[in-house]
Amino acid sequence: MRLLLAISWRNLWRNRRRTLISMSAAGLGLALIVFYVGWIEGMIGEAKNQLDNTGMGHVEVYAKGWRPRRPVEVALADSKGLLSTLELPAGADAGARVVARALASGAHGAQGVTVLGVDPERELRLSKHFGDVRQGERLAPGDGRGVLVGEKLAEKLQLKVGHKLKLMVQGADGEMGVDVFRVRGIFHSIAAPLSRATVFVDAPAAQKLLGLGEVAHQLVVQLPDATQADEVKRAMEQRLGDRAEVVTYAELMPALLEIEQMTGTMTVVITLFVYLLVGLGIMNTMLMSVLERTRELGVMRALGERPRGIVALILAESFWIALLSVAAGLALGLAAVWAGADGSLLDFSKSTESWEMAGTVLDARVRTAVAVRPTIEAAALVFVLTTLIGIYPAWRISKVEPAKALRAN
Amino acid sequence: MSVVRVAGVKKSYLAKGKVVTEALRGVDLVVEKGEFMAIAGPSGSGKTTLLNLIGALDTPTSGTVEVDGRDLGTLSPNEQADLRRDRIGFVFQAYNLIPVLSAAENAEYVMGLKRVPAAERRRRVAELLAQVGLEGLEEKRPLEMSGGQQQRVAVARAIAAEPAVVLADEPTANLDQATGRALVEMMRRLNRDRGVTFIFSSHDPMVLESADRVVRLVDGKVASDERKSPGEPQAASS
Repeated sequence: MRLLLAISWRNLWRNRRRTLISMSAAGLGLALIVFYVGWIEGMIGEAKNQLDNTGMGHVEVYAKGWRPRRPVEVALADSKGLLSTLELPAGADAGARVVARALASGAHGAQGVTVLGVDPERELRLSKHFGDVRQGERLAPGDGRGVLVGEKLAEKLQLKVGHKLKLMVQGADGEMGVDVFRVRGIFHSIAAPLSRATVFVDAPAAQKLLGLGEVAHQLVVQLPDATQADEVKRAMEQRLGDRAEVVTYAELMPALLEIEQMTGTMTVVITLFVYLLVGLGIMNTMLMSVLERTRELGVMRALGERPRGIVALILAESFWIALLSVAAGLALGLAAVWAGADGSLLDFSKSTESWEMAGTVLDARVRTAVAVRPTIEAAALVFVLTTLIGIYPAWRISKVEPAKALRAN
Repeated sequence: MSVVRVAGVKKSYLAKGKVVTEALRGVDLVVEKGEFMAIAGPSGSGKTTLLNLIGALDTPTSGTVEVDGRDLGTLSPNEQADLRRDRIGFVFQAYNLIPVLSAAENAEYVMGLKRVPAAERRRRVAELLAQVGLEGLEEKRPLEMSGGQQQRVAVARAIAAEPAVVLADEPTANLDQATGRALVEMMRRLNRDRGVTFIFSSHDPMVLESADRVVRLVDGKVASDERKSPGEPQAASS
């Protein structure tokens, strides 16, 4: 075995350039795959952990029957009391919202919007855009007349800070509710739909507009770690019982979960596809290398090496190529993932401000992250495939009669 | 006691199902243990073919070949490989050392296949390389050695695993006269000292003069089988 490994290792370096080309092909293929899954992992990770780009929660609570039609009168009573009783993990943020569809009218036009009645102090921790006021000032707690609008809505309705905005809704009693607010500030959001069709008012003002008491339509909980969502959901369900519906971000964005689950399958498919191309090249190179040594391998047969010994020798050579290729590919791929972890490698901010993925919105600078399982799977697959590539050349040369092999030039 | 027994052996080479060459046309030969014999004949007479058949590297079209009492025709490819490993040593015209191995590693290669313990392999190789005059060259790779030195390594490799017979196909063909003579003398010494049976194929007069027995092949048939009398002097051993 020692001699076999020694011969195979030294054979590898007889034609250094050819070996390096084979290794580069396999290694670069793996590095690209590692970087690709790191890209997807980074996007999924950000989608899970940066729900504040859209103000979504890792766990959300609604009154039973509110989803999906969102009737105004179906609401959670005593929202403040509910919030105070929630036992959340350290670092979690939570807030209550009143939600209603409305027609927003300014001096220069009208637009259908979603009105969010919020506690401004809590909302600051739940929605990044709520705090990103580019003109005017943030909404202050207790400001019953103020409204925050998005940049795109302000542009469409030609609103400026201080302008009046009329909000018309269908109240809880079925009658129209109308009130006039004054634009306090204009916020920026990387999510175009939010910028175009969301306005924020103080929660009591929204409740008054809708003719509701101290209720909320939505409790939003953001967690420091998305993996805590299921556990928090179970605890909240026990506490709230039948009166509320508790859902996680994964249930709200099933596509995100599907993408995550598909990443593993896609990694295998892409790896197989890449290796169909790369592998043929490596096999051709190995076959050439083996056939060039027909006489030498014939000598080994003549000296008493069994055909399976020749197969083992060639497979040991492909094993070394696989080992070195995987090591180089992993090093290169992981280095690229590491280099892209700050978003500098995949920075699309010059052409777009955000990505939309599976119902969530991400920053245009994609921060890559190591996708542990897909990376291990890809490396294992590349290792096995590259090793197995040696089978055909090995089988072919082991079938040559020793006398015929000895006559080869 | 015979080491090799060849009976009625014919060998034809076919191309597209048709016989294109009849290399051997019915050869009978018995080689006794400890013989130092040569197979002579012009190019194309069937010398290499006969050695290949005796060495279980090829199969006869008809007839039987026995080595050490075993009929090669009844052996599977793996059994033939094992027989070559255990009972037959080879020395080739072009040396055919494994280029990535050192002289010592080449010499111990067959012992490695036989799973001889490493310490025993090293001991035997050191002794053999000294015996063939290659002390100090153990770590040299084939390309760093002269043709004569490489052929000495090949001889050491052939006898290291203590075979019943060593088959040497034109062993001096690529060597100059003096080196060839030294090699033959060395093999002769090993034949005497260790009792190793040698069968050469050659048309080098110096090699033929050194052999105890010369079998001449002409057109694939044994034309003559001459043995020297015990007292007759040998040209290569002086």
